[in-house]
Amino acid sequence: MNTIVALLATFPIVFFFSLLFEGIDRKIHARMQKRIGPPIIQPFYDFIKLFNKERIVPVTAASGIFTAVPIIAAAVSILGAAIPVVNLITGTSIVGDLILVLYLLAMSSVMVMIGGSSSGNPYGAIGFSRKMTMMIAYEIPMLISIASLSFNPCFSLAYYDVVATQIRMKSLLAFTRLSMAVAAATFLLCVPAAADAVPFDISEAKTEIIHGSLIEYGGPYLALIKLAKAASNFTLAFLAATLFFYVPALFEGYVSLGLGVALCLCLVTSLIFMLLTTTVPRTIFARLKIGQAFKFYWLIPLTLSMLSVALSIVGL
Amino acid sequence: MTDKSDDAKEIKVDYTRLRIPFGPVHPALKEPISLRVTVRKEEILDVDIRLGHVHRGIEALAENRNLVQTLYLVERICGICCHSHTTCFTQAVEEIGGIKPSERALYLRTLIFELERIHSHLLILGLVGYDIGFETLFMFCWHVREEVLDLFEEITGNRVHHAMNTIGGVRWDLPPHLIEKVNVSLKKIEKSAKYIYDVFQDKTVEKRLCEVGVLSYNEAQELCIVGPTARGSGVSMDVRRDYPYAAYKELKDRFSVVLKYGADTYARTEVRISELFESINLIRTILDELPNGSISMEESVLKLMREIPEGETVSMVEAPRGELLHFVKTDGKEGLRRLKVRTPTLANILGLKPMLIGGEIADIPVTLASIDPCIGCANRITVVDEDQGEVRVIGLEDLRRRGRKR
Repeated sequence: MNTIVALLATFPIVFFFSLLFEGIDRKIHARMQKRIGPPIIQPFYDFIKLFNKERIVPVTAASGIFTAVPIIAAAVSILGAAIPVVNLITGTSIVGDLILVLYLLAMSSVMVMIGGSSSGNPYGAIGFSRKMTMMIAYEIPMLISIASLSFNPCFSLAYYDVVATQIRMKSLLAFTRLSMAVAAATFLLCVPAAADAVPFDISEAKTEIIHGSLIEYGGPYLALIKLAKAASNFTLAFLAATLFFYVPALFEGYVSLGLGVALCLCLVTSLIFMLLTTTVPRTIFARLKIGQAFKFYWLIPLTLSMLSVALSIVGL
Repeated sequence: MTDKSDDAKEIKVDYTRLRIPFGPVHPALKEPISLRVTVRKEEILDVDIRLGHVHRGIEALAENRNLVQTLYLVERICGICCHSHTTCFTQAVEEIGGIKPSERALYLRTLIFELERIHSHLLILGLVGYDIGFETLFMFCWHVREEVLDLFEEITGNRVHHAMNTIGGVRWDLPPHLIEKVNVSLKKIEKSAKYIYDVFQDKTVEKRLCEVGVLSYNEAQELCIVGPTARGSGVSMDVRRDYPYAAYKELKDRFSVVLKYGADTYARTEVRISELFESINLIRTILDELPNGSISMEESVLKLMREIPEGETVSMVEAPRGELLHFVKTDGKEGLRRLKVRTPTLANILGLKPMLIGGEIADIPVTLASIDPCIGCANRITVVDEDQGEVRVIGLEDLRRRGRKR
């Protein structure tokens, strides 16, 4: 019962930080392009503005699915972001909650895909097929990299267990074992595709297929989808920062550090990881084609994830 | 019952094919053009190009104005290559009237012409970057382009529509302090152009541009493709060299025609980047060798205009996008009987079909950008009757009759 209350209490925190992270991302992206860029709280303005706009459902759309999908996507991805945050604060370990979080992340992408294909727009259909291909490409290495955690003794698929191990060992997980370093690299390589950032924003390429699945969305629906995207980007960065690089564990006397400071450190590290995996690639690369991106994911991250499993079994 | 099943057999719907409307409104398009693309998955099977969304009736308007008014009108055919249009038009009028502008005026015309080439090429290089999702490259190219626009403002007073040309010369002189300024800016532009060249060597950029939108040498010649698009396919043509105008006769040996044989989008982009350096060098030569003298005729433009006899001629220039052609027929009473403009885009747009077929959806925007289309230039009146499936061109008389009806 307490967990559920804590989970609900975390929703506004997640909402705030995911939109704030998006704002910082946009600002730094702009500064790297010699632009002034929007104010950091621009995503909040956008959210409020979009929410007060008219609701439009195209005639060709399957209206039930079309309108339900953004709500599900937003709820699912905020829940996905809230679970690790709550578990970190309360220190509870639920067996298999990492799998749940990854499932919720994939769920929000699938929801947006379905929304696009239910809109009746050919570009939505192309967006659907492209996103499907991309998900096959990046979800598998990502899942394997997380699953390889459980191949190691004393690690499990419970989120807090992994964090607690890092605290006990007073070290970052990625630096403890070779297999974990490889797993961390795989996970970080998969983040840009999961976050739909250039060079892997193929499913929503603006200049090619006009935002793909999002093409018919506007007003409150678009606001919810944008929130869903911001929340899943936040989750990805937060997972990367706490699962593999739990910085507070490095400090002597972890308990005396206090929960607030530890959480702040986690947020700062996740911000840094988001900048490295999302903002920098989208500033310095051109968008790849679907075939090229697929080839990349099945060549490098998939091999790396296999390697990490193999190394775990060997015991490195 | 049997009849029904026979009917059902006759209608064959191929569900694997999808017809998508690319434009007239699309984020990758800066001007409205409509491509109806038939695709199977990502592969393009067929393309149907439709123009006519921004027709403004400029040729008809020109017939109701005098020559000086038309000079300002042709400038407004296009914002990017406005100087090419006015140069082409004034050349034609000067040829009919037997007017010879001074050497200095011709050199200044050429100077603005080459500056315009730099700014047009930077614009389209940025757009190529934008179309492949490389927003930073787009921002950078347009940032450099500002430098050229500032120069235009200093020299002519306007950033876009320069209004530099007049019958018998140019309207603004280039004082020594501006020459210094142009030199300083050129240095900056050259440095940035080198950087842009390096960025285009990036792996992800190459992956998106190489082997995309291939237009072979033979196809380019058959379709009469012009300008950088043709030069990217190895067709050696440049009006500046083949039919020199303005000061290009004297500067013939001071520039080379850039030729690439890749025939793909990357080759066309490469041609444009190399032409940036050619133009920078050419401008430096012009600044060094700028002859002295007056920049326009002693008589007023209006007096010159009144003396222009009846006659007709064709004038050609190498606009940034390729060969631009004006047919001018004067009536001897200050006005025009006919003005016909053949813009480079109208020639190049035919090349889109062979470029796109067999490619992927992801290649459409960048292939379109690689021919540097200027849709505003290229539109003519064509009425497409969808119900009867016929296409007819409406003549001027018909248009006038319709106008009177209203």
